[in-house]
Amino acid sequence: RLHQFLPAQSFVPANILDPWADRIEADSGGRIKIERYPSMQLGGKPADLVDQLLDGVVDIIWTLPGYTPGRFPRSEAFELPFLVADAEGASRAFWEIAEAEMFTTDFKDMHILGTWVHGPGVIHSARPVLRLEDMAGLKLRAPSRITAQLLEGLGAVALGMAVPAVPEALAKGVIDGALLPWEVTSSIRAAELVHNHTEFPGRAVYVATFILAMNTGRYEGLPPDLRAIIDAASGAAFSANAGRLQQGADAPMRAEAVAAGNAVVVLSEAEAARWQAAAEPVVTQWLAEMAAVGIDGAGLLARVKAALAAHGA
Amino acid sequence: MSTLALGFASFPLLLALIFARAPIGLAMFAVGAAGLTLATGSPAMVLARLKTESFSTFSSYSLAVIPMFLLMGQFATRGGMSRALFRAAGAWVGHWRGGLAMASVAASAGFGAICGSSLATAATMGQVALPELKRAGYTGGFSVATLAAGGTLGILIPPSVVLVIYAILTETNIARLFLAALLPGLLAAAGYGVVIALYVRRHPEAAGAPQPRGGRGRATLALWPVAAIFALVVGGIWGGWFTPTEGAAVGAAGTGLVAWAGGGLGRAGLVEALLETARASAMIFFILLGAALYNGFLAFARVPQELSAFVVGLGLGPFAVLGLILVFYLALGCVMDSLSMILLTIPIFWPLVAGLDFGLAGADTAVWFGVLVLIVVEVGLVTPPVGMNLFVICALDRETPASAAYGPVLWFVASDLARVLLLVAFPGIVLFLL
Amino acid sequence: MRGLAQGLALVGGAVLLALVAMVCASVAGNALARLGLAGFGPVRAGYELVELGVAFVVFAFLPLAQLDRAHATVEVFTARLPARANAALMRFWALGMAAAMVLIAWRLGAGTSAKARSGETTFLLAIPVWWAYAACTAAAAVAALVATWDALRARP
Ligand code: NA
Ligand code: NA
Repeated sequence: RLHQFLPAQSFVPANILDPWADRIEADSGGRIKIERYPSMQLGGKPADLVDQLLDGVVDIIWTLPGYTPGRFPRSEAFELPFLVADAEGASRAFWEIAEAEMFTTDFKDMHILGTWVHGPGVIHSARPVLRLEDMAGLKLRAPSRITAQLLEGLGAVALGMAVPAVPEALAKGVIDGALLPWEVTSSIRAAELVHNHTEFPGRAVYVATFILAMNTGRYEGLPPDLRAIIDAASGAAFSANAGRLQQGADAPMRAEAVAAGNAVVVLSEAEAARWQAAAEPVVTQWLAEMAAVGIDGAGLLARVKAALAAHGA
Repeated sequence: MSTLALGFASFPLLLALIFARAPIGLAMFAVGAAGLTLATGSPAMVLARLKTESFSTFSSYSLAVIPMFLLMGQFATRGGMSRALFRAAGAWVGHWRGGLAMASVAASAGFGAICGSSLATAATMGQVALPELKRAGYTGGFSVATLAAGGTLGILIPPSVVLVIYAILTETNIARLFLAALLPGLLAAAGYGVVIALYVRRHPEAAGAPQPRGGRGRATLALWPVAAIFALVVGGIWGGWFTPTEGAAVGAAGTGLVAWAGGGLGRAGLVEALLETARASAMIFFILLGAALYNGFLAFARVPQELSAFVVGLGLGPFAVLGLILVFYLALGCVMDSLSMILLTIPIFWPLVAGLDFGLAGADTAVWFGVLVLIVVEVGLVTPPVGMNLFVICALDRETPASAAYGPVLWFVASDLARVLLLVAFPGIVLFLL
Repeated sequence: MRGLAQGLALVGGAVLLALVAMVCASVAGNALARLGLAGFGPVRAGYELVELGVAFVVFAFLPLAQLDRAHATVEVFTARLPARANAALMRFWALGMAAAMVLIAWRLGAGTSAKARSGETTFLLAIPVWWAYAACTAAAAVAALVATWDALRARP
């Protein structure tokens, strides 16, 4: 049973999770059957997915570590502002670092199948955001703890919520906009609800991390040959490809928004530098928080940066 | 028994429990829990889900409107504001037999449009309007039927959250859907007006005697504090100044202050208002929790998928398939709330419907089907013998059993069904504004 | 029992009033900020506080609803049964409610310890989620107690 929060026809379920599951079903000659439950059909909110996996309610989940703040502190390193430029390379780096030091820490209770990030984050908002000052008082949805701190640092009002809650919140005016990559806007039709989009040159203002994870007991209970089939479909190559596919889906959605007459703005280098300076305290605060829970944040961040550089991300 | 058979068997079982006087929420809770236990062969899944689900069902910003609006209703009633409202409405339309009932339908529609939840609308209106309608001489059953039906109108009037969700699931343009729903929504309101007029003609005893005209100025003037608060709440939400939750909080605070200033809300009154809010809120949220568990079971048993496969297997024509789907929604409406129904079934039924030829363009089919589904989903909430809106309103009034509302509510259901047939026969009514 | 259920409902009511006041303050702050007044703004993390608060409010309301039999039921088909049969049915469903409440309280307690172990917090204020779970568990335990007492007392 694979449980996740987006509708079945959305990009990630249809183009990343389904092919992955189909491949496993085919390679195992039907001995593994993966039932897919989209849109939180088995109940709960997206933030409940991790507990559902650990309790064996479901066998596989796809989720954002950011939906359960405080639970996966190390993976937050990849969500720090202005760090990532390319999703494929960053996804490869994420897998590398996760395998080396998160499988036994953050993710010790689950069997990780894939780790990736989405394409560059974009500010989608009801009113135009052209300068840092335009953020003041803007109520924006944040996908994780780090991005919520980032938004507050930039002067906006941050509301933490999962993607499925975004359209309702936009329709009701709970938020004026959202931080999202272009690709995700298609699954919630965000470009029809707000008409201004702000992009950043070079490194993304943020990216969010994803995990595809399996219940450890369920995985270890499989015979070795079936485990090998799952392993072959998962891991570094799968993660990198997921990041590449997801970033690749950004451009068509962007083009669609432009064609619909929405205003898409790319900030200048000079303006982006001001944002970067305003975002600096988020990194400092994260380092302090990591120190408080006994994690060497500076060392981890240095290794993340090195891995990102090694993969051209 | 296979999981699927369990899924289908759960439905009559649930009805049997409800008819045997089980609390609705408990019946859904028990059938959902038992079904999941039997289907998985152990209680582990139910136990694990309950660890987080009761909390996460209740811990919701949007559902916070329910206790807040209920509190506002309590304050408005205790401060004499609902009475002032109805006195003014009576002065304007009371000389017309059934006039007050029509005004209540209009108020429900307006309130439902901003609040976004038919359950919360039914509960609030049930608290504010039910005592006043009865005071004006309307029978309990007819009042309940009117308010329950009125509560279903809001879903078609933008901003409608359920429409937004439907748009996302079917990849339909939201603005076009809002536009398309407008005319059917007005048609529904007009239909209810006709129903009320006909019903009170046939059953003059159901509505109070017509009130004498006059005193309009004075009654309207006495209304200004309520009018100001309602204008602030409704205008604020419409104008995007605040969210429904913020509107509910402002409304509760405003009515509370006015009631207190008018001497209608002392210490004892406040305690009573809070206790009454507690009873009604707990009742509604317990139903929501039971529904969450039962819906999870239906999804687990893959009932919609199998039903869809079964319908395809019959090889029927497009309109017969559409008819079957609409009937299915009517039945499901007995036990589920509108949003869960849409989330659970549209991803399965929409591809099925999209593959049929109704002589419409693909995008138009999505809009048309969406409006039809939204209507029948809401009708399901009021059809006897099981309808969530009916139960919620009746539970607020101990003197009126749900059965008293069955007769009159059928009149409203008849008008709904007539409207559905009309829209099926003439899709142009939905599409012509586009 | 009545005192316990009413007292808890009033505590929930007080939290609800506090939420109403907090949201109103947030709306007012927002309005002042839009008028260009510096130093005003919405209440920080009001969204999170409403989400946590309303869960407790509902759990705190459950015991009173149980005690006063406020839950929605359908009496159409049982109306013609003799009074004794109806009394037996009501006793049976009261027992069912008690069982459900005990189950909910027990699982919520398990959820509390799971959330305490995982260290999950809210997005902005970093309030440990298990605090809210613990408060709700306490309220649910009272609901279980009241429901059990209600099911076993002499008058059904
Ligand atoms: Na609406
Ligand atoms: Na029904």
